[in-house]
Amino acid sequence: MSEPILQARALVKTYPSGDRRIEVLRGVDFAVGAGESVSIRGESGCGKSTLLHLLAGLDTPDTGDLLWDGEPRVTPERRARFLGMVFQAYYLIPELDARQNVLMAARIAGRLDAAARARAEDLLRRVGLAERAHHLPAHLSGGERQRVALARALVNRPRIILADEPTGNLDEATGNAVMDLLLDLCAQEQVALVLVTHNKEHAARTARQATLHLGKLQIP
Amino acid sequence: MPWPLYLALKQLFPTGRRFPFFTFMSGLGVAVGVALLHVATSIMGGFGHEIRRMIVDTQGEIQVVSRANIQNPAEIMAQVRAIEGVAGVTPVVRGVVMVMHRNVPAYPMIQGVDLATVGEVFHLQRYLVRGSLDDLDDDSVILSTKLAIELGASVGSQLEVYTPLIIDRMGRDEVLLPRVVRVAGLLQIGHDQLDRSTIITTLRTMQELYGSGDSVQALNVRLAPGVDEFEMVRKINPVLPWEMRAQTWFETNADFQSIVKFEKYMVFFLLTFIVIVAALSIMSSLLISVVRKTREIGLVGALGARGLHVAVCFCTQGFVLGLVGTGLGLALGQAVLHFRADIVRVVAGLTVGEDVFQQFYQFVDLPSHTLASDVVIIAIGSVLASTLAGVLPAWRAARLKPVEALRHE
Ligand SMILES: Nc1ncnc2c1ncn2[C@@H]1O[C@H](COP(=O)(O)OP(=O)(O)OP(=O)(O)O)[C@@H](O)[C@H]1O
Ligand SMILES: [Mg+2]
Repeated sequence: MSEPILQARALVKTYPSGDRRIEVLRGVDFAVGAGESVSIRGESGCGKSTLLHLLAGLDTPDTGDLLWDGEPRVTPERRARFLGMVFQAYYLIPELDARQNVLMAARIAGRLDAAARARAEDLLRRVGLAERAHHLPAHLSGGERQRVALARALVNRPRIILADEPTGNLDEATGNAVMDLLLDLCAQEQVALVLVTHNKEHAARTARQATLHLGKLQIP
Repeated sequence: MPWPLYLALKQLFPTGRRFPFFTFMSGLGVAVGVALLHVATSIMGGFGHEIRRMIVDTQGEIQVVSRANIQNPAEIMAQVRAIEGVAGVTPVVRGVVMVMHRNVPAYPMIQGVDLATVGEVFHLQRYLVRGSLDDLDDDSVILSTKLAIELGASVGSQLEVYTPLIIDRMGRDEVLLPRVVRVAGLLQIGHDQLDRSTIITTLRTMQELYGSGDSVQALNVRLAPGVDEFEMVRKINPVLPWEMRAQTWFETNADFQSIVKFEKYMVFFLLTFIVIVAALSIMSSLLISVVRKTREIGLVGALGARGLHVAVCFCTQGFVLGLVGTGLGLALGQAVLHFRADIVRVVAGLTVGEDVFQQFYQFVDLPSHTLASDVVIIAIGSVLASTLAGVLPAWRAARLKPVEALRHE
């Protein structure tokens, strides 16, 4: 593996449960190289989303380290440029149209310029929504919404995409199409991908497949 | 544009929505409060202004008053008139009399005016609705309109005037007959109380009725336009004998003025609560919005937003709602003020009837006088209250952890 762009060491995460604490992650070691794709599977409630949130710096582990690009500094500003996220429920802002939703990521990253606008147009075209750029989320289908979310995740040219069951709300055909797009775009852009999924076929399409079981990540 | 402002504006005025219903409804409370404040202060201001106009029109800007009667009015008048900035001076004698017209009595205020100089201060002619000032002589009077109606008198009627002097003479076993005068004209000032109880006669007749010789009670002074009345008081005082003093119309009518001021502040104070209630309603709708938009707050966190930015976004919404509400409110208030006459007519007609209303509020037409400073205070106050109303929701939103927000169902 090339030099890892994202590296987690001995992540431990517990949640209080009554007077005890349940250990969701019991020391997870994980690394992703530039442009590499990894899938994570595991039964429901095993801590996949928890792990992804830790990797994204949205939550802090009880113990353990996280390095982005070899650096331990995890700030919102770095997150905006370093990674893109895709969620099961899309999380588009309902008041904004498709293009504005994509550009929202650029705004927050402080990079809203002509280049960002051109990039947003380009990405919307590549996800097949050039004609729908001015539609509100309410007027888009589930598959279309997730494609807008893909464009949004990529607009800041991140080094890595963290996707949490991106096809979980979609029917099989639509889910397959979205997965094709996600994998193609990551390959074209040479963006690394961490894909949390329940779907074996989707998981099989990534370069490496990991499973999370009893708080430990097993990587063959 | 920084993204928190952009998102705040987009949430209030969503893309592709022609009419922002949520924003309109949230701003409506503020609009109504601001409109009420604007209308109420303008009308109260109008009363004050109207009273000022009426007082100054009839009494001049400055009065020279004395501990005793002024025995040598001509001399003092000449001295005051010589001061730069003084446009006119006229002497005043006032008192109460009983008048009878065909057995109908009334007890009005009588004022003696000096025909030679009254026009310098009090444009009687402007208020005459019947008859002529030229017909006023030592055997005639001018009646205010409503008094004339009460007495059943009109131009040409004969009245009997009884004065306190009659009683005074009676004590000395002398019989003084009431004076018979002719009505030379009718006057309408526009203030209900004055229009019910004013008689004007000549200075000489008044001095005879009261037996006050050549002396007068006070002098009314008219200033040249644009001259500051307080400065003129300081200029006039030095030329007056020690027992006399110049004061402004405001001081002369201090009781009246302070009541008007007090009423205005009371109205302002009470209506301020409407704006506070409106701000609280903005707060509750923004709090609901924080809950409704929890997942989007999580999303912007995932995109790299800080809690502070999220807080700015919600505070901005409070500010903009305040701005929109205040703008709408001022426009609404302005419209109400513009059509106030029609509105009053309809409301009065539906309720107590126009004359009762007029009797109660003294004025024929509802006056309005808007002070720019009042409008500025109302606008700043309501925008500030609305912005502050956004602080609590903003704080709640900023405290949300992105992970918790993203897990929110
Ligand atoms: N804030 C929290 N407080 C307490 N327990 C939590 C909290 N968040 C998550 N958990 C628990 O941690 C465990 C892992 O949750 P997580 O959402 O990461 O699972 P998951 O693998 O993503 O499941 P799924 O496949 O259903 O999405 C669950 O048992 C959950 O109940
Ligand atoms: Mg999950």
